[in-house]
Amino acid sequence: MDPKTAAMIAAGFTMGIGAIGPAIGIGNLVGKALEGIARQPEAAGQIQTAMFIGIAFAEAIALYALVVAFLLIFVA
Amino acid sequence: MHVLEHFYLETIVPIEVFGIDISITNLTVSMFAAAALFLTLFILLALKPKVIPGKRQAVIEMLLTFIKRNLVYNMIGKKEGERWIPLIGGIFVFVLANNMIGLIPGTYTPTLNPIVPVTLALIVFFIVQVTNIRKHGIRGLLRTLAPAAVPSWMYVIVAPIEVISMIAKPFSLFVRLMANMLAGHTIILVLYGLILYFKSYYLAIPIVPFALIMNLFEIFVSAIQAYIFAVLSAMYIGEAVKPKH
Repeated sequence: MDPKTAAMIAAGFTMGIGAIGPAIGIGNLVGKALEGIARQPEAAGQIQTAMFIGIAFAEAIALYALVVAFLLIFVA
Repeated sequence: MHVLEHFYLETIVPIEVFGIDISITNLTVSMFAAAALFLTLFILLALKPKVIPGKRQAVIEMLLTFIKRNLVYNMIGKKEGERWIPLIGGIFVFVLANNMIGLIPGTYTPTLNPIVPVTLALIVFFIVQVTNIRKHGIRGLLRTLAPAAVPSWMYVIVAPIEVISMIAKPFSLFVRLMANMLAGHTIILVLYGLILYFKSYYLAIPIVPFALIMNLFEIFVSAIQAYIFAVLSAMYIGEAVKPKH
């Protein structure tokens, strides 16, 4: 197996496994935010703001995996 | 890989100054177009300000209230926040304009080239460090490496982690912005490339609506990423400005 093929397979595994954690994290986050809004609908604005910031943090980890996959495909 | 040709830079007008290449590329043209578009939009909206705002002026006032209340005062506090409104507002509108200009077919998104988000993240990094030193001195900079609720023998372990997090925060700002824009546009280009790869136009019937939906999602992602960049820079500046133990 030459290095190019191995790099392609590795890129597939990187993005596949690297998307599991952030997906679970974002799901938990939005679920808790929905519970919070259901308990106190007046605080919906603040809860939504905090939820978006949390989603950005969790999604950044998935994007690190995406950058590694791009590096594997195009540079190695 | 010729589908991803949209991501390459092409020089339009070569200018060279003392051996440094500052030619006009399609990135520069896109950035100028985004700036000109938003500049004319804002000037037209805020043309004749009255005390009781009409419909056009209300849009600009909504934008400014959003920047002041949600972005700056929430994160930095009312007293200190006054002087940071131009910077955070500028970062927000700049990133928003540069993200949105890529949605017009045929243009280049400036924020997906690594240079543009790296520059913004470096600006935020230097501003946070310099503000920290100006407000609390060099001792203050060392004090951020030692949070209050840690017993003194653990400083050996905690301090390197704090140094790494000090570098990782602007780095994550840069990677988040660049990778979000890159991923969105790559999906759309790969979808269109599928039609070219299989060399049949019947494939366009399912693919074009899907690419349309991805474009609409890209509008949402552009706005969210601009907001997240501005909010996180305001949060880091707010951490540096708050008085420490």
